Amino acid sequence: MIGRITTIQRMSLHDGPGIRSTVFLKGCNMHCGWCHNPETLSMNPELEWIQQKCIGCNSCTEVCPTGAFSLKDGKPDFQKNLCTSCFDCLQVCYAEAINKIGREVTPEDVFTEVEQDFPFFSNSGGGVTISGGEPMLQPEFTKQTLALFKKAGIHTALDTNLSISWKQYEKVLPFTDLVLADLKMMDNALHQKWTGRHNTTILENIYKLDASGVPYFIRTPVVPDINDNEAEISAMAAFVASLKNVKNYELLPFHTLASCKYTNLKLKNPMGQTQDLSKERLERFQEIVKYTINHREKGGQTEDTE
Amino acid sequence: MENSFSYQSRIDHLRSRKFAQTREKIEVEGLLDEDDYGRVLPPANAWKSIPNHPDGSFYGLEGWTQNFCSLMDSHPVYVDPNDAFAGRWVYFMSRMRANKWNPNYPFDHLKENIEKYDIIAGIGDDAHFAPDYKLGLSLGWQGILDKIEHYRKINTSPEQIKFYDAHEQVVKSIQGWIERHIDLTEQRIQEETDPKLKANLEEMAETNRNIVSQAPQTLREAIQWIIWYHLASRTYNRDGAGGQIDEMLRPFYEKDLAEGRIDREKAVYMLACFMLNDTIYWQLGGPNKDGIDQTSEISFLILDAADKANCSINLTIRVHDGMNQELYDKSLYYLIKNKNAWPRYSGDKALVEGFMKNGFDAQLARQRIAVGCNWMSLPGLEYTMNDLVKVNMAKVFEVAYQEMMQDKSDKPSTERLWTIYTPHLAKAVRTAADGIRHQLKYQKYNEPELILNLLSHGPLERGLDVSDGGAEYYNLAIDGAGLAIVADSFAALQLRIEEEKKTSWEEVTYHLESDFEGIEGEKIRLLLKNSPRYGQGNSLGDQWAKKIGEEFTQLVRQESNPELRHTFIPGFFSWANTIGFGQHVGATPNGRKSKTPISHGANPCPGFSKDGASLALACAVAQIQPGFGNTAPMQWELDPTLATQDQAQLIGSIIKTHFELGGTLINVNIMDKDQILDAHKDPAKYPELVVRVTGFTAYFSMLTPEFRQLVVERILES
Ligand code: SF4
Ligand code: SF4
Repeated sequence: MIGRITTIQRMSLHDGPGIRSTVFLKGCNMHCGWCHNPETLSMNPELEWIQQKCIGCNSCTEVCPTGAFSLKDGKPDFQKNLCTSCFDCLQVCYAEAINKIGREVTPEDVFTEVEQDFPFFSNSGGGVTISGGEPMLQPEFTKQTLALFKKAGIHTALDTNLSISWKQYEKVLPFTDLVLADLKMMDNALHQKWTGRHNTTILENIYKLDASGVPYFIRTPVVPDINDNEAEISAMAAFVASLKNVKNYELLPFHTLASCKYTNLKLKNPMGQTQDLSKERLERFQEIVKYTINHREKGGQTEDTE
Repeated sequence: MENSFSYQSRIDHLRSRKFAQTREKIEVEGLLDEDDYGRVLPPANAWKSIPNHPDGSFYGLEGWTQNFCSLMDSHPVYVDPNDAFAGRWVYFMSRMRANKWNPNYPFDHLKENIEKYDIIAGIGDDAHFAPDYKLGLSLGWQGILDKIEHYRKINTSPEQIKFYDAHEQVVKSIQGWIERHIDLTEQRIQEETDPKLKANLEEMAETNRNIVSQAPQTLREAIQWIIWYHLASRTYNRDGAGGQIDEMLRPFYEKDLAEGRIDREKAVYMLACFMLNDTIYWQLGGPNKDGIDQTSEISFLILDAADKANCSINLTIRVHDGMNQELYDKSLYYLIKNKNAWPRYSGDKALVEGFMKNGFDAQLARQRIAVGCNWMSLPGLEYTMNDLVKVNMAKVFEVAYQEMMQDKSDKPSTERLWTIYTPHLAKAVRTAADGIRHQLKYQKYNEPELILNLLSHGPLERGLDVSDGGAEYYNLAIDGAGLAIVADSFAALQLRIEEEKKTSWEEVTYHLESDFEGIEGEKIRLLLKNSPRYGQGNSLGDQWAKKIGEEFTQLVRQESNPELRHTFIPGFFSWANTIGFGQHVGATPNGRKSKTPISHGANPCPGFSKDGASLALACAVAQIQPGFGNTAPMQWELDPTLATQDQAQLIGSIIKTHFELGGTLINVNIMDKDQILDAHKDPAKYPELVVRVTGFTAYFSMLTPEFRQLVVERILES
């Protein structure tokens, strides 16, 4: 069984409880404009050029058969549209300015790589998280990987956009201790516009997940000028409040740290002009969420006469 | 409330006075790559040493006794009405001599190899083992004099009579120094107009009258006694070892509390004054000899006091299975709150199990505690030369590499390099051990340990200096430095030349000799540097590091001699010598440029890990532990964005896991990258910024530019 991943990040602190290793699977069925991991969008291996690391030795321009690496004003330059991903240049770039993003691994490979951090997991209540991209585009690999860890007694989490057929989720949930489910916005038209897909399946799947008994968090990326308004946040909070078994609702502020990834991958950054979501605004939205959820809970608990 | 304000304001006063004193030292004496200690500037008409040898230095019992007593007689007295305690130290007496080794006992036979392998031999170095403060607290100065008197009657050779005379004179000169403080305090009482400060001075005078001869009875007396002994020992030869501070002070504190002499606030004030007095290495928490955790109320008060003093502080929390979780949590809270590089943490499991492998029992092993920069010691029981003897393994590598390339009788290979490297390493270790043996034979004629002998079990009883058979145990330390440089060099050569054939021995040698000059040189340098390094986890570099570590460990162990009670214990530590060692080594095949610093202690080379560096570091350093009770510390530059109170448990779990994996000691820095860069540009702007340089902490502004650069690079690349 082979899966395509970009990387395994050690000491990930934002993908579930404790110290975790997060496995980023390559390939996504959405194309969210604010994506923080653009290197996971395409299923295929691709080339990244970190210009700051380039020492101008010109070895790449000498070997590149297509001219994707060529001299421009006497300096090496990379034109992605010419690149056929032969990776000849990778072999000659000693400066590690050229990287191949994407490698093929088996679930056992992942297990072996993560194994060294098991002692940190057990002391911190952490574990492994399968993320992406959208891991459920590789459901069998995801299932087998989760199963391996689960069998070893390691806490497992699945970070998914919940847009895939529920049948697939039914296969992986028995090996999943926690689901990190994305909820990007309630407005279906805007959802379609900004992610490339509608949210009907997602909302249905959240209800199914809620009924399944598997612990889960809902997480919303809050992006300036897209969903950072009170109406949208309140609507999502109200939806979350209507769920019975959700363990946590997190707002993830948009940040610009990923912009260099777009540059290195020669990808257009749809949010190139967007600023970080300010701390004040995030706190304001967190207040709204808190209020909405508390209000809703209180409303439900009519016998509580406190 | 009023009291608390008054205590706090006194501590604030003492803190700012300490910073002013540090600034003065920098202005007058220049920068210094070491601990600030608590020393203050000598007066204008400074004491001068009295030579007793044609070379202008002073040696032996007479020389050291005469100089110390003369120094003590004229030592400035120091009383601050805000302070609970009198006294500061002023002179590095051991540095005030023309030469640190008596030329009548030459070690010329070792010099060639010392230079060849760049060994810090430690011959003529001193202290670096721990006194037993409990012994001092129970005897008092008169008790010590009585003990001298007692054994003088038993050990009666002329040499021993001189030995006892010397110690007697030393004790009396310390008492004379204390008496002069009493006089000054009494004078200050007359002058003081503030009633609270006057009352404090009266208490200070009474405290000192009570302990000038007799053993201390109260917490204040006990701390003041420790301070006198310690300041004398610092003055004598910079000894900075402490002990199990909470358990040492607990009986005094509990008695004071029960008898209504003290409240918690006052105890914290006194402890804060104590912390401001000097940066002694103390251990907190941890098991007693029977494995029972020693945490008590005063352990917490010491942490609170350290928080109030919040200067350069060397407190170590001993982490063990039965530890007090509350103490651990509180220590993490302060680590994150102050970001001032204290406390640090030691790992009981590996230290105890390792020390037992030398043939000692668990009870003894648990008493070997964190009382020095990188080192553990059995207070009052051993002579160690901890942190004094180091082998520059990177230099040994260079010698071996050049020999292989010059000898054309066989083709170069990493296998061949290894067979050349190991005998050189063996010679280097043998030289270091011979240096220690030389010291054990002649140090008494060079520099007897007149102060540390007083609180050791054995020297007075036997009439022998602690270096000369007086001690109970000889657990002798040799540290390897530059492990990562050597491991990464082997790994790079193996991968790039032998496996991938991307370069050749000749090409690498050419670029080493030309220090990777030019674009081709830089290309090869990066090829080598980007090889799988030590610290990346199961990498080629990790494999080499293990192999080299095991070899070094075994070579050091081989030097032991049970008949002579010599147990040699390996460690990996470079102290502040990374720069000096680096200057003696040309470019290395791990892509390191000529004369640049070697790797730090047991740490991988900076930039070794792309992410999760903390975990990678914790795994790597745990794996190369020599495992005989000395340390290979993990120097941890913790990202300040991680160091928030809501992540305290995670930080705590990394520390615990490192120790479970076999780690021995963790030194932590939490340093904002922008701040450290700014401080590097303008150190005077950050007079209070403390960094844990290696095992010790120092004011960043006190370090030389080269050393600041090193610390900055380490933090930036973490
Ligand atoms: S991967 Fe091949 S085509 Fe693409 S830039 Fe490199 S050498 Fe040229
Ligand atoms: S091979 Fe690498 S370092 Fe050399 S010019 Fe190309 S990108 Fe730059």
